[in-house]
Amino acid sequence: MKPEENNLEKNISRLVKQAGGKNEPTKAFTDSLIEQATAELEQGRIRTRKQRSTVMSIKKLLAYAAAVLVVCGVLVVLTMPRLYRAKEYSGPVAKGPAPEQPQVQAARQLDEKETKGEMSSSPVEYTQQVRTIVSDESGKFAQKPQAAPADALVVSSADRVKYARTSAVEDAVKLGIAGPADKSLSERSLNSAYAPTRPSGVVQCFPLPGEPARRYPMAHGGTTPPNGEDVDAMFFKNYGVNPFVDTEDDHLSTFATDVDTGSYTVVRGYLHDGHLPPNDAVRVEEFVNYFKYGYPAPQGDDFAVYMEAAPWTFGEGRKNSQLLRIGLKARQISDENRRPAVLTFVIDVSGSMGREDRLGLVKKSLRMLVENLRPDDKIGIAVYGSRGRKLMDHKGLDEKSGILAIIESLSPSGSTYAEEGIRIGYEMAEKAFKQGRINRVILCSDGVANVGQTGADDILKIIKEKAQKGITLSAVGFGMGNYNDVLMEQLGDKGNGYYAYVDTITEAKRLFEDNLTGTLEVVAKDVKVQVDFNPDVVRSYRLIGYENRDVPDDKFRDDKYDGGEIGAGHSTTALYELKLWPKKKGTIATTFVRYKAPQTDDVTEFKSFIATTDLKDSFDDSSKQFRLAATAAEFAEILRESYWAKGATLEPVLKNAQRLAEAFEGDADVIELADLVSKAGQFRQPQLEQSEIEYIE
Amino acid sequence: MNQQPKNQDWAGLAEGDSQAWRRFLESMIPRLYGLFLKSWANPSFAEELVQKTVFDAVRGLSTYDCSRGGIEEWLFGIARNNIRIEIRRRASRPSVDGDISFYLDRIENELLPDEVLEQQETAGIVREALGALEEKERFVLTAKYVDGLSALDIAGRMNVTEKAVHSLLYRARRSLRTELRRIAPLKKEERKK
Repeated sequence: MKPEENNLEKNISRLVKQAGGKNEPTKAFTDSLIEQATAELEQGRIRTRKQRSTVMSIKKLLAYAAAVLVVCGVLVVLTMPRLYRAKEYSGPVAKGPAPEQPQVQAARQLDEKETKGEMSSSPVEYTQQVRTIVSDESGKFAQKPQAAPADALVVSSADRVKYARTSAVEDAVKLGIAGPADKSLSERSLNSAYAPTRPSGVVQCFPLPGEPARRYPMAHGGTTPPNGEDVDAMFFKNYGVNPFVDTEDDHLSTFATDVDTGSYTVVRGYLHDGHLPPNDAVRVEEFVNYFKYGYPAPQGDDFAVYMEAAPWTFGEGRKNSQLLRIGLKARQISDENRRPAVLTFVIDVSGSMGREDRLGLVKKSLRMLVENLRPDDKIGIAVYGSRGRKLMDHKGLDEKSGILAIIESLSPSGSTYAEEGIRIGYEMAEKAFKQGRINRVILCSDGVANVGQTGADDILKIIKEKAQKGITLSAVGFGMGNYNDVLMEQLGDKGNGYYAYVDTITEAKRLFEDNLTGTLEVVAKDVKVQVDFNPDVVRSYRLIGYENRDVPDDKFRDDKYDGGEIGAGHSTTALYELKLWPKKKGTIATTFVRYKAPQTDDVTEFKSFIATTDLKDSFDDSSKQFRLAATAAEFAEILRESYWAKGATLEPVLKNAQRLAEAFEGDADVIELADLVSKAGQFRQPQLEQSEIEYIE
Repeated sequence: MNQQPKNQDWAGLAEGDSQAWRRFLESMIPRLYGLFLKSWANPSFAEELVQKTVFDAVRGLSTYDCSRGGIEEWLFGIARNNIRIEIRRRASRPSVDGDISFYLDRIENELLPDEVLEQQETAGIVREALGALEEKERFVLTAKYVDGLSALDIAGRMNVTEKAVHSLLYRARRSLRTELRRIAPLKKEERKK
């Protein structure tokens, strides 16, 4: 049905129903709703039964673990008194203060600048304070606490800074003479009540039947939930916030690349609808990667790396930071030179896609894509509502009008059987598989995965297996309200494709028209980046974002370990906040990039350096692209209420964004950023959500 | 309407038993519909809200706490919450221009705002437009959209084929659109006078 006919039918239906003035629902409506609701309940019960059996297995395991613990406990009780007596006999060994090393002195000075506490951070002076204060408080315990700090003085000088920051400060905190603010950045971050959060479970605010009830805070700001939908029905995941890491503890930072931009567009949707987004909807790297930084494309190589660093002030009590930007740009491929594509669309046509005309946007987006494909490309379509089904076998673009007619005929109804739709899509893709072509499944959905009797993990497993065989998957999200950001992002990640969120037709244009070749043609897979910070120059660092892209350092050269995928002409940017040792010169960091060729799996690794001589004198001396990345990151950090954004406000971010909008004259993305920062500033200002709730109650 | 659900399997409801819910919903859906219709005289929208409320309930069943009240109260609580959300949503939306003919002229270009649908004047125009249609066309439109009958049922009542019903529906929609475009400006003029 054409869109005009579709609108006409819907409007006439509503008008006639209105004029009919019946004050009870039709039987057809009642019956259909009862069927759908009971089907939903049945599926919920199946899930609950599965969960129960899992709980039973866990209970058994716990019982075994408890038995083992009891045995261990008995052993400890039996041996403890002997150990304790041995320690008492050894007594405190005062070795006297060791000469303070230059690095210790520098650390103390920096800590003093960073923190507002009164205590000194030198281990020597600090030990003296512990002694004095403890003996003032109670002579009885005056000697005992000296043992630990005194021991600190006999460790090697290389360990001293670390020890001073950990054991001694911890003891001081226990004794009440120092607060959490007296710890080094990394220590503070790990132990504070406001600490960077560790990854938690899925924030599934709408529990399924059988799951325990949980309360989550509403997204705040604005006056109404997006699209009239309670935001508690949205699905996001908290991946935590990266802490500062002392280079002495770990000088390597490793992560998989990410070119997704879904988070930025999801948040844009929230702000346009008059709301601040939930914190977990914000992924900093996806904000940063949304913008074009104009990195020149490499000539001959697959990648070029661009590094820039400049002073940066952000957040409360952190002065003298440097911001390091690492940009990775993939080689360009012209549209004529890309491989022909065999695309299989799996389209969600369940009832939820009828809301806010999500399916309408899918149709418009697909129409745009079809118009931009080449005659040698092929398209097949599978759909799923209550059941999955094949809608159209793969056809060449010479049958464009037929393809467009089928796309137009889609209409929403029924529940969501995503698993079956995806499975049928992959069967079609396997049948139409052509070596040497781009074989891609494109899932268009709001991610509401009422996935039959199979969990999301099973779907992800299938997708990963197929990706290894050469059929990749891209997840394109549509809709708000009950949108499942977590699942869509994971699908794109495991499918070696990408994840994008389309909120407007402009975003669809960006994806399917302006960047079509990059969207389809992957130039490198399993791309991993390892940054080796020079401990002589860099004191500590934190990776801004990429929390769910962490790769263990020792897996960087493990080519079986999954990395990110980068499309032709795509770029990706990572930002680090750095603390440097004062007056040290030399290499700041070496960036290693490792990736596989998509066709042959040949592995390539290369590296690039940045030194202190490359540091800019001030933030304003840096390039406008650098300032844009910093501004996008600051915006994201504040929106997600990162620990490191404590005390930061949107006002300076807005000023920077407005200046950048002038500098990037005509760049709609940058102008829009300034607009979004301004909107977010307005919504953050009142923070009236509580009174708002009271009002409606 | 408004009959109290009797002989319900309360324990089954709390456990998510589909048969218990089937009986429960049979009695609750008309009541919820009536509640929403009181807030907005808009049957299509009332259906949407009933659907949302029912799904909110079945998906969030584990949050139901029987110590805080019956399941019926809980369901109405969800319904009232949905009404509040809609009130807030509407409050933030710009008000619809009073010129209904502008919207009725574009019914194939975009979905009509609910506020336009809910105006008494709109219902009056639609009734007049329906009255101007041929008997067959009027019957098929009301049977389909007011009584919620399927094309097959309508075909049985009219003693024609199902295909003929689809064809008649298509023509009837177009006739109604023409009539709406004719009547709405006349009403506007009348109102001005």
